[in-house]
Amino acid sequence: MRTPPDEARLTAYALGELDDDARAAVDAHLASNPTARRAVDEIRQVAGVLTDELAAEAVPQLTGEQRALIEAAASAPGRSKRRRRRPRALWTLWLVRSGVAAAILIVIGVGVISTLRSVLQPSADVGVSKTFDYMAWNQASRTGTGAGPSFAGTPRPEGMQDDMGRATTSQPDPDEGWNREGYDRIVENPFRKVIDHPLSTFSIDVDTASYSIVRRWLTKNRRWPPPGAVRIEELINYFDYEYAGPAEGGEHPFAAHVHMARCPWRSDHRLVRVAIKGREIADASRPSSNFVFLLDVSGSMGRPDKLPLVKAAMRMLVDVLGENDRVAIAVYAGASGLVLDSTTCDRKREVLAALDSLHAGGSTNGGEGIVLAYRKAEEQFLSGGVNRVILCTDGDFNVGTTSRSELVRLIETKAKGGVFLTILGFGRGNLQDATMEELSGRGNGNYAYIDTMAEARKVLLEQMNATLVTIAKDVKIQVEFNPARVEAYRLIGYENRILAAEDFNDDTKDAGEIGAGHTVTALYEVVPAGRSAGTPKASPLRYQNRRELSDAAHGSEVLTVKLRYKKPDGDESVLMTHRLLEGGAAFAAAPADFRFAAAVASFGMILRDSKHKGTYTLDAVMEQADSARGPDRHGYRAEFVELVRTAKLLASQR
Amino acid sequence: MPGETDSDVGWLRSAMGRYEGPLLRYAGRILGDVERARDVVQETFLRLLKSDRRRSEDHLAEWLFTVCRNRALDVCRKERRMRPLSEFAEQSTPSGEESPPAVAEQHEAVGQVARAMRALPANQQEVLRLKFQNGFSYKQIAGITGLSVSNVGFLIHTGIQRLRKRFRATGLIAQPEGDAR
Repeated sequence: MRTPPDEARLTAYALGELDDDARAAVDAHLASNPTARRAVDEIRQVAGVLTDELAAEAVPQLTGEQRALIEAAASAPGRSKRRRRRPRALWTLWLVRSGVAAAILIVIGVGVISTLRSVLQPSADVGVSKTFDYMAWNQASRTGTGAGPSFAGTPRPEGMQDDMGRATTSQPDPDEGWNREGYDRIVENPFRKVIDHPLSTFSIDVDTASYSIVRRWLTKNRRWPPPGAVRIEELINYFDYEYAGPAEGGEHPFAAHVHMARCPWRSDHRLVRVAIKGREIADASRPSSNFVFLLDVSGSMGRPDKLPLVKAAMRMLVDVLGENDRVAIAVYAGASGLVLDSTTCDRKREVLAALDSLHAGGSTNGGEGIVLAYRKAEEQFLSGGVNRVILCTDGDFNVGTTSRSELVRLIETKAKGGVFLTILGFGRGNLQDATMEELSGRGNGNYAYIDTMAEARKVLLEQMNATLVTIAKDVKIQVEFNPARVEAYRLIGYENRILAAEDFNDDTKDAGEIGAGHTVTALYEVVPAGRSAGTPKASPLRYQNRRELSDAAHGSEVLTVKLRYKKPDGDESVLMTHRLLEGGAAFAAAPADFRFAAAVASFGMILRDSKHKGTYTLDAVMEQADSARGPDRHGYRAEFVELVRTAKLLASQR
Repeated sequence: MPGETDSDVGWLRSAMGRYEGPLLRYAGRILGDVERARDVVQETFLRLLKSDRRRSEDHLAEWLFTVCRNRALDVCRKERRMRPLSEFAEQSTPSGEESPPAVAEQHEAVGQVARAMRALPANQQEVLRLKFQNGFSYKQIAGITGLSVSNVGFLIHTGIQRLRKRFRATGLIAQPEGDAR
């Protein structure tokens, strides 16, 4: 028998810090020692809590001036100017206000000293700090305006453009993993003049994660979400709309509809809706599926809203799979591994048992896990079937050797081979929203955020076919506006899905997918011809004359919508065309689905404090959404109305 | 990812995109306010520009954190020399830009964990942050702080044990039922 490992070694083991030999020794010890196993489990839980909570801290930024200065120095090395320093201790202000100054002040002073001392004289614990008066601190935190000597404030609604919201413009590499919620900054699409930009081109997006994330911020965190987390198209597409599907036996796998009405938040503008409805597939005729569940079981997944929810969600999915469907389960943490080789669902019990046996521990190496999962999916590839990797994770891929760009390349390649990707995000704290959205986008996939069993049920059962069965891929939309009818337009949302006009006809350019029965909605805010759009004019060209209007422009057509898509296993795109004729009805007369989507868009703009939000208030949004609830079978629209109410309440409390 | 440019500007931009926030959080903890943290981080990036790119590139995160830490500690030392402790208490000009971090405690769990963290000695807080906020390994933390790896391990262990007791008492972590296998 070996000597038992000391406690610090157990911690190192739990955190995945030991090498193979040392780990094996601890493994051997754990096998016969339940107390030590419990300790390891608790250490991992603490690690998970810490990772989550530290990730939720605000991320400050340099000032624009500082950033510019650094960049200037980069282009002209050796010319670095120091910025004027303003020595200022913010926390002293808090201390003074909170009236617990003296005692704590000293401790903080000592804190700095102890940091210094630790460099010279490492020690586990600095005695003086033990005098820290936790109770006094605790009370102080609850009273007054202060929260502590940190600058780690949290985002507030009025700070719509502040630190947190514009957390990053580029994402952390997996191997450098910052554990925090990463939302890309969104720069809203501006109004564009039709005369200068007659074409608007974008890829569809069926993701819905942003809505669940916004909901979680409002209902659980009790704060307005950072603007970067609000992707308006995802809010709109979270809801199901009753658009007519394609004709039975028709040529196209989906139907498209175009509709126009007055814009509710700016009555002199119009709102144009492009609505798409994918063909429904009856559960019985769903093609056989080959799924690989790739589950993140790193330490931070141990919390109840993560791995236990992942397991429950996957169990729910397995329950409805048929005996010809296959499931393999791979996990990743410190090391990646296969928990269950591809198994047909006539042996469902084995699949469920494998799911049950999972527990959280170790750190993440998502990169290797993805490689493994795709390999498994390819081994069992079902031609004509559904081949999909379902990745469940709380966040980033932090220990791997694979960088994010390599990962994206890998996923893109695999998607071309017919294995699609679904990413399900769980938990809060270190959700790498931007990474997940990008990965799923590149992987011919979709991304949903699951915070409750109800959400899991929506994504995996109610919309199972939409989530898992792709009926058309690389779906692009191009709208050509008639300058005789339209002065300017603005695409609402889809900011990270904009394509160049020439990409529309380029079949090598990737775009979004539509699942069976899916509805996709895009809204344009349109300025009718003859009204000023307030957009700056492009300077006149010297060598070209302004385009002349064609005959068609003099008719009553407002715009033409062109759609391109490919069959799930096809390489060549098919073109669909729709025209919209003049006739902007009153908003109140528009279909309920139209009005509801408009209310959701308006809500998103208010949350983002968009300069285009117009005259609409949260009250108006609430009223409009409430009146446009329609049948609302699952109560999602009613929940939306509540969410607006919550946002309003939170705004009034600040 | 669209191909990153190989130019200094592109390289710097991607480094800033990734590390600006994390470095500011880190320096802010050492210095106690965001304004001086910004100065330190600005200087860290300026130093990065002057560094030998081939040498800093491989261990960019460690390099940046090490430089940032040393700069922050320099500032602490200098300011302590220049300004007696009592002056801290007298200073009362609001910064105008940053609001007092009142909302930090709004969320219960956040408040609880933040408070428990602050009850730890500064050196434990620092290594825990490097480990769990920034994802560094013991070895990398040792590189950044100048401590030995076993010392880092000991600090993290001690910090976790304390938090474990606290979290257990407040129900933040679940008591495993029976055998935790």
